[in-house]
Amino acid sequence: MAMKNVKSANYWQVDHKVRNIFEVKGITVLPSPRAWEKFGWTRKWFEEKPKEGYFIWVEKQVDFPLATCITIATPKISQNLKNLLVIEKGIKAKAIVTCNAAENKLCGKHRAKGKLILKDNVSLEYNHFHKWGEKDFVSLDYEFILGKNSQLLYTYQNLFPPGNLQLKTTIYSNEKSSSKLNFIINGLNSDIKIQDIIFLKEKSAQGIARLRLVGRENSRIEAISKIFALAPSKGHLDCRGLLLDRTAKISLIPEIICQNKDAQITHEASLGKISEEELTYLRMRGLTEEEAIDLIVSGFLNI
Amino acid sequence: MREILLKIDKLKVKGNGKEILKGVNLQIKRGEIQALLGPNASGKSTLAQVIFGNPKYKITQGRIFFEGKEVIKLFPEKRAKLGIAMAWQSPPVIKGVKFSQLLSKISTLRSSTPFAVAREGKEASSLLPPRSAREVESHLLEREINVDFSGGEKKMSELLQVIALNPKFVIFDEIDSGLDIKRLEQVSKIIKKELVNKRSSILLITHSGAILNFLKPDITNVMVQGRIICREKDYKKVLKIIKRYGYEKCKKCKLLAG
Repeated sequence: MAMKNVKSANYWQVDHKVRNIFEVKGITVLPSPRAWEKFGWTRKWFEEKPKEGYFIWVEKQVDFPLATCITIATPKISQNLKNLLVIEKGIKAKAIVTCNAAENKLCGKHRAKGKLILKDNVSLEYNHFHKWGEKDFVSLDYEFILGKNSQLLYTYQNLFPPGNLQLKTTIYSNEKSSSKLNFIINGLNSDIKIQDIIFLKEKSAQGIARLRLVGRENSRIEAISKIFALAPSKGHLDCRGLLLDRTAKISLIPEIICQNKDAQITHEASLGKISEEELTYLRMRGLTEEEAIDLIVSGFLNI
Repeated sequence: MREILLKIDKLKVKGNGKEILKGVNLQIKRGEIQALLGPNASGKSTLAQVIFGNPKYKITQGRIFFEGKEVIKLFPEKRAKLGIAMAWQSPPVIKGVKFSQLLSKISTLRSSTPFAVAREGKEASSLLPPRSAREVESHLLEREINVDFSGGEKKMSELLQVIALNPKFVIFDEIDSGLDIKRLEQVSKIIKKELVNKRSSILLITHSGAILNFLKPDITNVMVQGRIICREKDYKKVLKIIKRYGYEKCKKCKLLAG
């Protein structure tokens, strides 16, 4: 996983318990219920009093990535998180966010609602890693609110999916802001529903969503990827799926909606199997069929 | 007398339901360079792919032996492990995989298999191909395999991979097509240094014959309509006849192998 030492994370939670909080000057880290009490202004973003989750407020530039780690470790545990990340004007930040199951068969639930506020001229690279057990249920609903001139690079990577994954991501783009979303998802014995929407609300906003989905045994992936242009803006959807097993099913729906004559939105989508020619080529270099598939898939997912 | 490395016996092959090879016989000895000339669609590339076991083609008759062992039922990777390598004419694009990733994968596999033992008593000094070849196209290493490679870069990438395999026998499928004369000379020099001098056997498939002047094959074969119809020691003679009369004339030529 991305995080080498979980103890150095800014926020570390296992089941319902906060295990560690690490603050530095200019960065406030609190459990969400405390933030609700302490900072009245957060209530508008939380909407209702949170039970658990983290609040991170970045007021000053730091030269290391923000890190959070949320783990389920007890059988049948059910997390219900409300996370809020606020980055003040002009700050460049990087976040490494890990959510995982400590064991494979916990049958746990991880629900997370996140609001990520990027004020004007913010640049955020947000790397989100998930690793789950085969019987877990995971539901994620993240909203990114982009200020003027802000930039977001969001990568969600899930190579170890839960039995059931529901992933909703919404981007609200402001003037001259840009967002690039990458979803890298490996389906295996899982039911996965993805919905991502980019709203290009103001002029000169840009948005790109890139989906790379792999369907292995007994996986079912349904993805709806949307861009909605309300202003002169640019958007692009790039959705691709690779089926590796006859029991896998992927459904991909790219949807582009334009409500402004000066906006330009494009999309490309494809679903298919691995090319026999590529496989044979690699096998002629001495790779077994399995090794060749792994290499092609890693290239497809770009990991 | 030199040992026979590859022996192809009365090989008939179908592709897409159509007979492409109609009884091919070919023998290549250890350390020997042979050329296979022929017009477009005569079956040269099919022969190369079949030697390597491409599942796209169906063998209806005949046998292929490598170092005395029948290889027809072996998967392509097993054949690679025996020491067979091929530079493709039109290699496929593999998006997202860096060329260096593939080279190091090849080298790792090579070092864990019997053909890892370097010949001439030397140990493989590096996991990557030899310096002489690597320096030529080091900028390719960080690029995705064959993505936007120029014609010359594709040929060089194929050559580097083949060298990384440390093979006993290499098929070069049209390595000379699309190369300018300087590049052709460069490629030939690398082949000589890294393969010929290390006693790898080589089958040069070409329809123009451009590379033969640099690598001077011991034997030149001509394939027309799925059959090898000529087998001649003097490649210059063969090239001269083809240049003057075209491949049609080969069918009636006195040098005809039958």
